[in-house]
Amino acid sequence: MYRLGIDLGSSYTKGVLVDENNRATAFQCVKSGYNFNNASTKIINHFKEEFEIGYPVYTCGYGREQIQAPFVSNSELIALSKAVYNIYHSPCSIIDIGGQDTKFIQVNALGQVEKFKMNRKCAAGTGSFLEEIAFRLDVTPEEFTELAKEATQEVKINSFCTVFAISEIIGLIKNGASLPNIILGIYNSIILRSIELSLVEDHLVITGGLPVIHPTIVSLFKKRFPNSDSPEQSQFLAAYGCVLLNNEKKFDSPQPPTFSH
Amino acid sequence: MSEKVNQDKCELVKLRSANELRSTMDGYFARLKEAAETGKRKIAWCTSVGPAELLYSMGFEVYFPENHGAMLGAGKNADKYIPTAVAHGYSPDICSYLTSDIGAFLQNETPLRKSGFSSVPRPDILVFNTNQCREVEDWFSFYARHFNVPIIGIHTPLCISKLSPEIIKSVSDQYHRIIPELEKVAGRKFDMDCFRQTVGLSHDGCVLWKQVLEKARSIPSPINFFDSAIHMGPIVVMRGTIYAVEYYKILLGELEERIENGISAVPTERFRIYWEGMPIWYRLSNLAKLFAKFDTCIVASTYCNSWVFDDLDPAYPFESSALAYCKLFIVRSDSVKENVLEQLMLEFSIQGIIYHESKTCVRNSNNRFGLQSRLFKRTGIPYLEINGDLNDPRCYSEEQSIIAIETFIGQLSGKV
Repeated sequence: MYRLGIDLGSSYTKGVLVDENNRATAFQCVKSGYNFNNASTKIINHFKEEFEIGYPVYTCGYGREQIQAPFVSNSELIALSKAVYNIYHSPCSIIDIGGQDTKFIQVNALGQVEKFKMNRKCAAGTGSFLEEIAFRLDVTPEEFTELAKEATQEVKINSFCTVFAISEIIGLIKNGASLPNIILGIYNSIILRSIELSLVEDHLVITGGLPVIHPTIVSLFKKRFPNSDSPEQSQFLAAYGCVLLNNEKKFDSPQPPTFSH
Repeated sequence: MSEKVNQDKCELVKLRSANELRSTMDGYFARLKEAAETGKRKIAWCTSVGPAELLYSMGFEVYFPENHGAMLGAGKNADKYIPTAVAHGYSPDICSYLTSDIGAFLQNETPLRKSGFSSVPRPDILVFNTNQCREVEDWFSFYARHFNVPIIGIHTPLCISKLSPEIIKSVSDQYHRIIPELEKVAGRKFDMDCFRQTVGLSHDGCVLWKQVLEKARSIPSPINFFDSAIHMGPIVVMRGTIYAVEYYKILLGELEERIENGISAVPTERFRIYWEGMPIWYRLSNLAKLFAKFDTCIVASTYCNSWVFDDLDPAYPFESSALAYCKLFIVRSDSVKENVLEQLMLEFSIQGIIYHESKTCVRNSNNRFGLQSRLFKRTGIPYLEINGDLNDPRCYSEEQSIIAIETFIGQLSGKV
């Protein structure tokens, strides 16, 4: 019997299957789209083909209660902290860059949230910011990362707003700035937006979809904060943490529920 | 953590006094309406922490545009009106009470229609005090130009650390200086005995309101911030009248009864929070339910405490008015504010503070100059910052705020 954690995020829904020894054994990620229930159903059906799933499932994220299967919902920040602490077993700071949110979390010596802060009601500095810019520039995430390696100098992107950042970038292109230098500037603007959330004074753990898709971000963080790293599959950590938070809970029912599609 | 079965758990115990509150407020609006329709009494518009006592003592009916602004916000209509004010040159970044109120006026709409008004009552004079912010003067100036009526006011120094005799004298002198203009409009002479009596009633009403708020020191608390934000109506608009005094006697009695009978505002109270900043009017009810769902009672707030003018003294009506309206939290320096907040944390057994950073209300957003970090260092009490606005829902992300609040309560539960 496996337990399932699902993080129903604004852009992607991530599922992690966890065995009886608390090992994350399988991962699945789908676009959240407009219907969280559909997204979670896809995740559950995917795992059901091969594994026996225990219910309730453990959820977090914007769509944490938009799910038809029996569930226990959690705060994604608490779940993420739990999962990160489970890896490092020591206090740390987390910067999580997701689709619409950038979060700073300070985790204490007990693995609890000591302090946290989320971005303002603004997409600048989040995954959506980068997605929008990549779309406008017609550059894939892979190309983004590769191009950033060719940068010779950073170009500053000053705009707080996604739309005006694009206008600014168009202006930079018009004035002859190279695409690699602009991309480096975009990455650094995201880092600046995230580190203004709070002072980073200890081990920094970078998580979320954005550092996974854009690993250059992690390298750039490391330049500023040598004591930083990003665990593998970090976009799944909050989902995994949901299961860890509910370790003491027993399975309510071995029978899978009926889903509507 | 929340389980599906508990999703709708949001028990809140309503105050019985809500009926008396309604009739008290209805009475206020009826008097105002009569004055507007008959012209028998003059109407003064006053800022919410302006010289209401002086106005009531001189026979004016007093109308408070901020109360109207809050009505627009609570009615979830502010965003319908703000764009109109913005189109007339008012920035969307300034006070959204102002922009929603002026926008509604320009659209010839008002929630007062429900009370039988055809429009907001026409002012005979506009009277402000800048103790709360400079916007009030600009706000009232719009109406002074529109109605071609006099506008007078008191300019209070900002960020006051020490309430020096010079400051008190300056403000007290300004009270004296506005009297001749008030006499001209009121058509009657200032009467010191009347003023003393009004100041006395204001004092008594404020003391009762303070006692109401202090009942939340009880664990569990018989009242929460969301109740207080509604039940503060009489102390805002009827300060200096017998009506406010009578109402708060009733409310206080109910709270005493609640404490005696072990009735609390949030029956499952586990966490006690302080709310710093403006209410989020358009989500007041949702937030009340959300906190109740998380077994949390917002037991105290800067906002509701801001109408406690217990320094008013009929023996020294001018000087004590100056003192009371300069002692107000919003007009004090950060060091004074920190001391006040630290004391409140102790008195109300606060476990966490929520700072509402209101996009359009700088003066009521006390997390903008590092106060929150300094207070945390002094008290060790965790805090959460929420971005939103008093009236403009476009500045507020509900989903993000719910996640933040849920996490904050989770953070606190790790500490109890």
